[in-house]
Amino acid sequence: MKFAAGCDVGSLTSKAIIMDGNRIVGTGIVKSKAKPELSAEAAMNAALSNGGITMEQIGYCVGTGYGREKIPFVDETKSEIACHAKGARWLAPSVKTVIDIGGQDCKAIKLDNNGNVENFVTNDKCASGTGRFLEVMADVLDVDINELGNLSARARSPITFASTCTVWAQADVIKYINSGVPIEDIGAGINNAMAKRVAILASAVRAEKEVVMTGGVAKNRGVVSTLEKILGYRIRKIRRADPQLAGAIGAAVFSLEKLNGYQKEAV
Amino acid sequence: MSNFFYEAATKILNSSITEWKENGGKIVGCTCSYVPGELLHAAGILPVRIRGIETTGTDIGDAYFGPFICSFPKCVLQLVGKGKYGFLDGTIITPGCDSMRRLDECWRKAGEDYEGIVPPYFYYFDVPHKTLPHGMKWFKEEIVRLVNSLEKHFGVKIEDDAVKDSIALYNKGRHLLKELEELRKDQDVRVTGTEAFAVTIAGTVLPREVFTTRLEQFIGEIKNREPVGRGKKRIMLIGSISDDIGLVELIEKNRDAIVVAENLCFGVRYEGHMISESGEPVDALAEGYLGGSICPRMFGKYKERLALLKQKIDEAAVDGVIMQNIRFCDLHGSEHGLFERDLEKAGIPCLKLEREYGPLTETGRIQMRIQAFLERISSK
Repeated sequence: MKFAAGCDVGSLTSKAIIMDGNRIVGTGIVKSKAKPELSAEAAMNAALSNGGITMEQIGYCVGTGYGREKIPFVDETKSEIACHAKGARWLAPSVKTVIDIGGQDCKAIKLDNNGNVENFVTNDKCASGTGRFLEVMADVLDVDINELGNLSARARSPITFASTCTVWAQADVIKYINSGVPIEDIGAGINNAMAKRVAILASAVRAEKEVVMTGGVAKNRGVVSTLEKILGYRIRKIRRADPQLAGAIGAAVFSLEKLNGYQKEAV
Repeated sequence: MSNFFYEAATKILNSSITEWKENGGKIVGCTCSYVPGELLHAAGILPVRIRGIETTGTDIGDAYFGPFICSFPKCVLQLVGKGKYGFLDGTIITPGCDSMRRLDECWRKAGEDYEGIVPPYFYYFDVPHKTLPHGMKWFKEEIVRLVNSLEKHFGVKIEDDAVKDSIALYNKGRHLLKELEELRKDQDVRVTGTEAFAVTIAGTVLPREVFTTRLEQFIGEIKNREPVGRGKKRIMLIGSISDDIGLVELIEKNRDAIVVAENLCFGVRYEGHMISESGEPVDALAEGYLGGSICPRMFGKYKERLALLKQKIDEAAVDGVIMQNIRFCDLHGSEHGLFERDLEKAGIPCLKLEREYGPLTETGRIQMRIQAFLERISSK
């Protein structure tokens, strides 16, 4: 019995997924280290022990993420675009648009009816509108990153931020904290600013239903609900797995297809 | 790759420049491809294209240019400020775009702070944005002014016959570059995009005689090689200023990609057409350099530029087009939006890459987008 594996070495976290047929049997998620090979190994070891599997049982492994070229144990590498598209389609087969917001980048991917990537846009070297933006802001507000999204629901009059530039917005946040604005209103303003930025990406690929969000920021309810308001429709909720794992899942699905000899698309 | 071309393409101070100076020759740098090299050649001066490679930062450039300016002139000024262009006896600045026009004033201003960086001959060569009769008349006057100014400063006489000989020599190089371009269209392409790009860049800085001879040898040599592009996706690279072979290398690092065509302002975009060898040389140069221009700074020529791209795409059986431009490039940045709309409509996949000029940073992100683009082409 051979398992299919996917390993996504991202800028902030590294993820590994092991699949047995169409079922996830091992999950590993670790904070990325200074060396991508070490991050990959740690994520993979976590997934292996999570599933009670040994490395010898892995039949094929696809690597993705910025560190993909440095992962020693992969058989093949794929771009994050392809992996997030593949992963999102596995998580929600009817998906037409994927919005992935990772630690240091954000991307919008449009899929055709066969699930192939039709078009995509990504941010450039600026990290505004990425997970890093939220991390910095959560830090300034002294709230847990996982709590930031919940502030929106409790806000009365959210602040409007003129820019998602991390440096400018940080200065603004400090100004509002010092002038006694409730933390909920500031937090909601941050989430709204982020959602507006993501909406620009979505419109750049002419987003169509269904839209799925992947990456860590998909877990921020404030961002998602504002984005839904801007788009005018609901974003498909992912329940099959943690949306942060979409890239690694996509990589594992590629491996699975390889093991299956590409006979049929794994969904 | 031929070390000779590689050195010229990757080093500002290449060995032929050192040799030229040792023999007492004069060198004039030009910032844009609108300056007829034939005039300088006829005057016995070596024209070299001014570049911004080998920079490690832009602290000097940043001090004189605003923050919303293209990083290319910043890198040029950086090198100038560090004395890397000390070998120049003259500079000709052209308003290829507004950022490049600013190089004229920023260079002179920096000259007040950094001693000896403004060459003794510093000339502004204006170029109209239209090829209508009045624009052409103006451009011819600019050429005559340039000739007079060169003659006066360098104490030379630029005779019509000498210019005609130079045109013939330059045309020979153009013909060879065209031949190289033809060879790349072949399904069994025998030269990588990196090599071909290095050759075209080398052509902008090498003495023309040397370049022509070496290019002729190179073409003869590659004809006998094994094919290098079988089963690979055929990519065309277009867009704003790019003389960094690292970018082409980055694309071709993907085992399934080969760059078979380009439309960039270093090389074939301007060398693609012949200059008439009959009639008045000034008229021929004006007609060739301005009339034949296909860069987006020229007004009212979008349809012609699109048609040329489509023709190249067809002839070279291109699978996808990578459109790169330097950040803040209004001309190419907006044109790429139009190209993308029209080429995608025609079924040609396009990837827009906005980047900074200078040491290739962001290679992780650029490479990810290139890989995703190749995957997209493959799934078609």
